[in-house]
Amino acid sequence: MNNDNIMLKISGLKVSIDDREILTGVNLEVRPGEVHAIMGPNGSGKSTLSAVLAGKENYKVTEGEILFEGEDLLKLSPEERSWAGVFLGFQYPIEIPGVTNVNFIKTAVNEHRKRKGLPELSAAQFLKLMRERMAYVEMDSSFTSRGVNVGFSGGEKKRNEIFHMAMLEPKLAILDETDSGLDVDALRVVAGGINRLKTPENATIVITHYQRLLDYIVPDYIHVIYKGRIIKSAGRELAQEIEQRGYDWLIN
Amino acid sequence: MEQNYIYAPALTSEFRCKVPLKETRQLFIVNGKVQGGKSPFSLRLKEGEVMKEMLQIISVRHKSYKEHLATQQDFHFGKGSSGKIIQCSHTFSPDRFRTTEKVTISLERDAVAEFYIMQNEHNNAEHSTSYEVNLGAGAFLKMVFLSLHGGVIRNDIFLDFNEKHAECDLAGLYLTDSKQLMDNNIYVNHLVPECNSNQLFKGILDDEGVARFYGRINVAPDAQKTEAYQANHNLLISDKAKAYTSPQLEIYAGDVKCSHGATIGRLNEDELFYMRTRGIPAAEARILQQKAFAYEVLEKISNTELRERMLSLVERRLRGEFSHCSTCIRNCC
Ligand SMILES: Nc1ncnc2c1ncn2[C@@H]1O[C@H](COP(=O)(O)OP(=O)(O)O)[C@@H](O)[C@H]1O
Ligand SMILES: [Mg+2]
Repeated sequence: MNNDNIMLKISGLKVSIDDREILTGVNLEVRPGEVHAIMGPNGSGKSTLSAVLAGKENYKVTEGEILFEGEDLLKLSPEERSWAGVFLGFQYPIEIPGVTNVNFIKTAVNEHRKRKGLPELSAAQFLKLMRERMAYVEMDSSFTSRGVNVGFSGGEKKRNEIFHMAMLEPKLAILDETDSGLDVDALRVVAGGINRLKTPENATIVITHYQRLLDYIVPDYIHVIYKGRIIKSAGRELAQEIEQRGYDWLIN
Repeated sequence: MEQNYIYAPALTSEFRCKVPLKETRQLFIVNGKVQGGKSPFSLRLKEGEVMKEMLQIISVRHKSYKEHLATQQDFHFGKGSSGKIIQCSHTFSPDRFRTTEKVTISLERDAVAEFYIMQNEHNNAEHSTSYEVNLGAGAFLKMVFLSLHGGVIRNDIFLDFNEKHAECDLAGLYLTDSKQLMDNNIYVNHLVPECNSNQLFKGILDDEGVARFYGRINVAPDAQKTEAYQANHNLLISDKAKAYTSPQLEIYAGDVKCSHGATIGRLNEDELFYMRTRGIPAAEARILQQKAFAYEVLEKISNTELRERMLSLVERRLRGEFSHCSTCIRNCC
């Protein structure tokens, strides 16, 4: 394998919260164009891994490193990681009363453009882009004028995450349980949006503990994380096996 | 409409507002002197009279008079009359101005009035205003205070419900930094049945800024079916900022709906992280959060142009600029 082409390289990552070791040695390599699924029982450290990738404070990296396009990701602030092309879709998207979704995403898009040396989008350009990207997840325009995620149902929040992703066009999207709390129709729509955003240049890590999502988003690799480390990596066929046999056979 | 002034186009350009609001008349009071009219200022609306334009009263302290100034403004709304007033107060230099002001507002039966009070003074200014408010049957009064800047700003409101079915909506936003003090004392007196009062005061306190809120709702023994609500919320931006809040309910009637709530909090860290993961820098994210906090008060401004202007003043203020409109270098609105 060509080492130069690695987008994300996590080596020997150990992370503690309040002196408790949550990640106990994670190794992972992701290349452009790949889709990785991370599965594992509740409490195994999936959300912790995604939060560390996005730069959440209070998570202490005690060992190991994370390289993103060859650069030390851990020394970047959350916003710098976003500008570099890392996107985290939250398991529990945050509600921000009083900040409208449109203002929020417009600010975000223009901050990204500023870092690329591009001028702000005109009102008309922005509106056009927003309409187009909202259609990716069949989102109603009424969601733009409401407070970010305020009063959104579980499914609407997840659509909104993918809408944000569609607006920001990240290189690496980490989607934490984007499928949880979705009915079949919403799942199809959200997965459709994610698939539509896939290119040979970008990569996706989908975190889930159900095999269901993987019927819609076909991963190249599946990793099982347990007690803070990846205990099994395999091709997409692993999902079927987990569906039939659960996690116990992997754990024991 | 009886008002004891005429518009003064000859007013020196130093005091003129360069970007007046649409459909708004302006009156200037310089060091307590009504320009082109008699002092103190008073306004009387006749029965049924509807003010077509807003009246913006711009009170300016100028260095030509540095003594303690005591002034007064009187507003009387006759039966069924209505109008909107904007009261702005400014200092034109960082001198030690002290101003004590008394404002009387009385609404007769079914009168409707809105007051927008914009306070934007230098750090050495001390400005204390006492509002005496009387509401007749079915009257509606809205007051929105925007205390943007000033050394010491104190507002005392004494509001009496004298006849049934009147309603008041009192709101305020106060912003402090450096060592500013903003002090709001509100006394709402339900003397008669079936009146509604609503209070919402919010503050954003930075540096060593201090805010005091004292809100007292008094419901007299006969004042059945009163609805009285009060909320005071404070956002501390720095470690040294302080807020003191003291909500007081004194209820002597049985059949009433009353509530009060007070909070002192900080910016929400989860919101902050969420915004940053989308590429909004921390400083910008904090401004967004503060604007969101302030918006609940600002959205009470019914005139769109005034609301937009206030929103942009608040935003500039939160970014640490002494507020002025984008098209004008004057520190006024
Ligand atoms: N902020 C936190 N403080 C303390 N413990 C935490 C925190 N977040 C997660 N944990 C703990 O870390 C472990 C992994 O949690 P998490 O990463 O959320 O797992 P998963 O997403 O796989 O369900 C759990 O035992 C959880 O209780
Ligand atoms: Mg999780």
